[in-house]
Amino acid sequence: MATFELYRRSTIGMCLTETLDEMVSNGTLSPELAIEVLVQFDKSMTEALESQVKSKVTIAGHLHTYRFCDNVWTFILQGASFKSEDFVQNVDRVKIVACDSKLLSQ
Amino acid sequence: MASSTTSTVYIHVIEDVISKVRDEFINNGGPGETVLNELQGIWEMKMMQAGVISGLTERSSGQKQPTLGGPITPVHDLNVPYEGNEEYETPTADMLFPPTPLQTPVPTPLAGAADGSMYNIPTGSSDYPTPVNDSGGNTDVKGGRPSPYMQSPSPWSNQRTPLSVDVNVAYVEGRDEVDRGTSHQPLTQDFFMMSSGKRKREDFAKQYPNGGYNIPQQDGAGDSTSEVAKAEGSNGSYFLGRCDSATTAKSKILAHLARSSSKIPQLDGPIPDPYDDMLSTPNIYNYQGVVNEDYNVVNTPAPNDLQAATPAPVAQNDIGHDDDDEPLNEDDDDDDLDDVDQGEELNTQHLVLAQFDKVTRTKSRWKCTLKDGIMHISNKDILFNKAMGDFNF
Repeated sequence: MATFELYRRSTIGMCLTETLDEMVSNGTLSPELAIEVLVQFDKSMTEALESQVKSKVTIAGHLHTYRFCDNVWTFILQGASFKSEDFVQNVDRVKIVACDSKLLSQ
Repeated sequence: MASSTTSTVYIHVIEDVISKVRDEFINNGGPGETVLNELQGIWEMKMMQAGVISGLTERSSGQKQPTLGGPITPVHDLNVPYEGNEEYETPTADMLFPPTPLQTPVPTPLAGAADGSMYNIPTGSSDYPTPVNDSGGNTDVKGGRPSPYMQSPSPWSNQRTPLSVDVNVAYVEGRDEVDRGTSHQPLTQDFFMMSSGKRKREDFAKQYPNGGYNIPQQDGAGDSTSEVAKAEGSNGSYFLGRCDSATTAKSKILAHLARSSSKIPQLDGPIPDPYDDMLSTPNIYNYQGVVNEDYNVVNTPAPNDLQAATPAPVAQNDIGHDDDDEPLNEDDDDDDLDDVDQGEELNTQHLVLAQFDKVTRTKSRWKCTLKDGIMHISNKDILFNKAMGDFNF
């Protein structure tokens, strides 16, 4: 089954990757097993985001850069604002990376 | 609210992952439950240090202490690979720096070739394994600073020019340009060795720790690229219709460009992290490559960005006739923004990772619908199920 490696770039994904890197470096873990853990992380993260999260966010801003390559959209926004029912956040610059949701369901 | 906070979701994900890989760890000769608990403990500890989860102090600290202190038996110490090369290390140091430099080229091909094969360095360059071997007993000038030597050969290759003998002035000048223009390229050695083939080989053997090793292997590559340089030099002069006095300058510039173009095949190799490749597990823990081939439909775009960026400036250089007549348009891109983008890639930059359902544009108005995303903005992690984007280009 195909997974999105996208979420490995998040905080939780980077923590896991660093942990696995350390363990493989000192030989505690085999690289193949580390890959399996990462793939399982991809699946679990995707599923958790679908089922456990219910919030909705609105994003607005000036689009500085857009890129579509390998079915991945990358946007760089300037002066962006993120609005949800709980909060409002404004940032100078944000990068949005989005994979095609249809690829997973094929 | 407690059921849907970010921290809760992360904890759930961690537990889900650990429970689903438990079988792999315990059955089929896996590392065992202890290692699995250690993995979970370290993962949670890092997450708490990052400040994204809370409320786990009891479990993680309780599990961490026995596991970290206890049965961690490294199967193979991969952080110090050259220690396993004891049979080669001593003879390499002795053979590379003997009292008589004339003897150097003869024994080194054996040791150097073995070292290269042991490390599986894909570039085939002997630069990277040798400094690791020689860091202990390297008395050469370049060996005195092994870390810049290993990280990038540019200080090392730049250092070579003052030491070289100026027999052929034109070649020296051309090589100066090569040194500046092509940093951390193993192919630069080809040109040095090419010119050394026309000059004193003993000097090069002395200056290179693995000079003797280089001579038999890299002459071929050097031959082809210098032929390309010469061919392009003649083409360039024909193209521009310049007089002969400028031909030499042209051939130098185009030789540089030829070397730049010869960089293309190697640019996407393991150049960015030669140090990591050496000291961690080279080619064994290449999980990025394996997973990309087997599992992933869509790769994370960061490597694509880097790979997409490199061919573009090199492709511009390939058009030799643009050099003097037309501007290279190097500054068309917003350099400040791009550099900042690559510099602040992960931590300081605000980042949203999500899936898109639809992206549309009308004139300069972009709209997109995203779903299942993780936002890291203002040092906080926020998850969303749906997002609507409205951007103005």
